[in-house]
Amino acid sequence: MNKLREKVRNLLKEGKVAGYVGYMMRDSHPLPHFFTKERLEEVDQAIAAPDNARYPLDKLLQQVASRYPEETFAIQVRGCDERGLNELYKWGQLDPEKVVLVGVACNQAQADYCECPGPWTSVIDYGEKCQPVMKSRRVAQIEALGEEEAFKEWLGAFQKCIKCYGCRDVCPMCFCKECSLEHPELMSTGLVPPDTIFQLVRAIHMAGRCIDCGLCEENCPADIPLRVLYKKANEIVKDLFGYEMGVPESGPSPWKMLGEESTLETKPM
Amino acid sequence: MPDTNFEPKIIGFFCNWCTYAGADLAGVSRLQYPPNIRVIRVMCSGTVSPHHVLRAFQKGADGVLIGGCHIGDCHYLRGNFMTIKRMRFLQDLLKFTGCEPGRLHLEWISAAEGPKFAETVRNFTEKIRKLGPSRLKLAVRAA
Repeated sequence: MNKLREKVRNLLKEGKVAGYVGYMMRDSHPLPHFFTKERLEEVDQAIAAPDNARYPLDKLLQQVASRYPEETFAIQVRGCDERGLNELYKWGQLDPEKVVLVGVACNQAQADYCECPGPWTSVIDYGEKCQPVMKSRRVAQIEALGEEEAFKEWLGAFQKCIKCYGCRDVCPMCFCKECSLEHPELMSTGLVPPDTIFQLVRAIHMAGRCIDCGLCEENCPADIPLRVLYKKANEIVKDLFGYEMGVPESGPSPWKMLGEESTLETKPM
Repeated sequence: MPDTNFEPKIIGFFCNWCTYAGADLAGVSRLQYPPNIRVIRVMCSGTVSPHHVLRAFQKGADGVLIGGCHIGDCHYLRGNFMTIKRMRFLQDLLKFTGCEPGRLHLEWISAAEGPKFAETVRNFTEKIRKLGPSRLKLAVRAA
């Protein structure tokens, strides 16, 4: 923890960053906190978020950065948060030149729980690398079902939806000003549960963009296994287009450009 | 009880420059094809969003047929590159969620391919007729 605090303190003291989006223990709850040079003593209480404390810091950073576009900010990231930042750079929502990473590596228990393929960051200031989980068991479970069984499974989950938009509101990758989930021409209004396609529409938007942080699922009051759906959406994008989310080297998203050539074939009827 | 009088309802999204003209050719050539298809003309098949396809299924379509220019013949040069990306993705997603991916079909049909158009619509309608009413539609109706 000392290494992390030291880094943050130096960044703030030397004026390299205007603020640090991290965590602090308050009333015995680990909560997101915005650290500044003016209140440098608070850095003594800065913490690396414990496993079960996860907030969409990327989302908070977007709000701060859009308010102060000239300033540079530091942010505490896990593997998923860093993937999120990389995606946000690609989508032009944040400037990589104006973000400084304070990296936290997740422990094995957390990585196993998330089935995370990359539970560490490029810069590690706290924690140690653990074994990644390359294959999602939860996705495999659904794939093992027959199509009809899978449909029953998903239908049961979708019908629990209370349309709170919690999945969208917590999502660090959902930055649109207008949302198709609220578009009356695309989605029926005034229905609970919403249209059966509600979660599918969101899955489409998450494809190749979802950073697999799992906040949506943790936030969902109806316990819909959203993460499984988005994990699969990402997998399909990887299989079809060779695009890996959150990786700077994989270039722009396939949804962002037409491409120079088209090698995909139509499926036979 | 199985619906013995089941008539499939199929939504077609056809591009203005190729498939829609192909449909026109099928018409003036007096080629027969089933009337189950409701055609929506779009300027490019690349404008068909997965939203539109899912919305069609939600509203009770048993099948969705997308028609566009062959790769390389797009009036807007590369619009149909996006069509195939979207539709291939959507087919896989529908498969994962058990929503019968075969009900969504993409076919490249040029303005000169009237017979191919009629045959595609015929085959697709028969395929959907055999599949019966869409699982999604039945679930929506039951809710």
